[in-house]
Amino acid sequence: MKEYAAITVPSNPKYLSVIRSVTAAMAGLYGMADRVRDDVKLAVDEACSNVIKYAYRGDTGKKIVVKFFIAKAFEVVIEDSGIKARPECIEGRNLDDVRPGGLGVHFIRRTFDVFAFDKERKKGNRLRLIRHRREEDEDRDRRE
Amino acid sequence: MKIEIAENKGLKVIALSGDIDMHSSPELRKELMVLVQKKVSPLYVDFRGVSYIDSSGIATFVEGLKGMMAYGGKLKFVGIPERIMEIFCFAKLDKVFEMYGTMNDACNS
Repeated sequence: MKEYAAITVPSNPKYLSVIRSVTAAMAGLYGMADRVRDDVKLAVDEACSNVIKYAYRGDTGKKIVVKFFIAKAFEVVIEDSGIKARPECIEGRNLDDVRPGGLGVHFIRRTFDVFAFDKERKKGNRLRLIRHRREEDEDRDRRE
Repeated sequence: MKIEIAENKGLKVIALSGDIDMHSSPELRKELMVLVQKKVSPLYVDFRGVSYIDSSGIATFVEGLKGMMAYGGKLKFVGIPERIMEIFCFAKLDKVFEMYGTMNDACNS
């Protein structure tokens, strides 16, 4: 059975800590080890920061919806009503080119196997992030 | 995030604690760039109390370092927690920033 939880927060950066807390809690329920949980928390934070920065252009009065689905995989869906993302233009900087910015996408892609925008969504964006279970994900302490 | 700027025996230290994210990094940037404009060098950043950093925090330090390099300044990181070090390593910034385990190591370098 797929378990599900969702939160809606204002598009204000001060709510990113709330998103991180819920993400970590959901990753814990999925049984992820602390290290992986931190990676997932960072990736979801980066995706939501991008919503504030690019979809809402810094407008703090909008909404961000974050949904978590726990089944065989760990899935996070992030919805906004802002400016449409152009997935073909989303690219992290070359890591050897040291300059501010361009790291967030790397943090998301290294953690999630699927990073996909819903093309059918008419208004705003729906970003789907899926991490399939990996051996390293397991919280061995919890199992023992 | 809490920012404490201290001067001890001529050493300028920014001691950080808590989460550095998109919400807190503008304040950090402001404090850091004031010191960069004053051409402080070396500048020590004490990471021991930092629990989290995202790309906006990292970008703040890259910007600070670039500003300091313009006048030959040294930016030295101290006591980076393991999980945060892993993020710097992934971003290939462990070779860009000077990183030390303790203030003593940083001062003697």
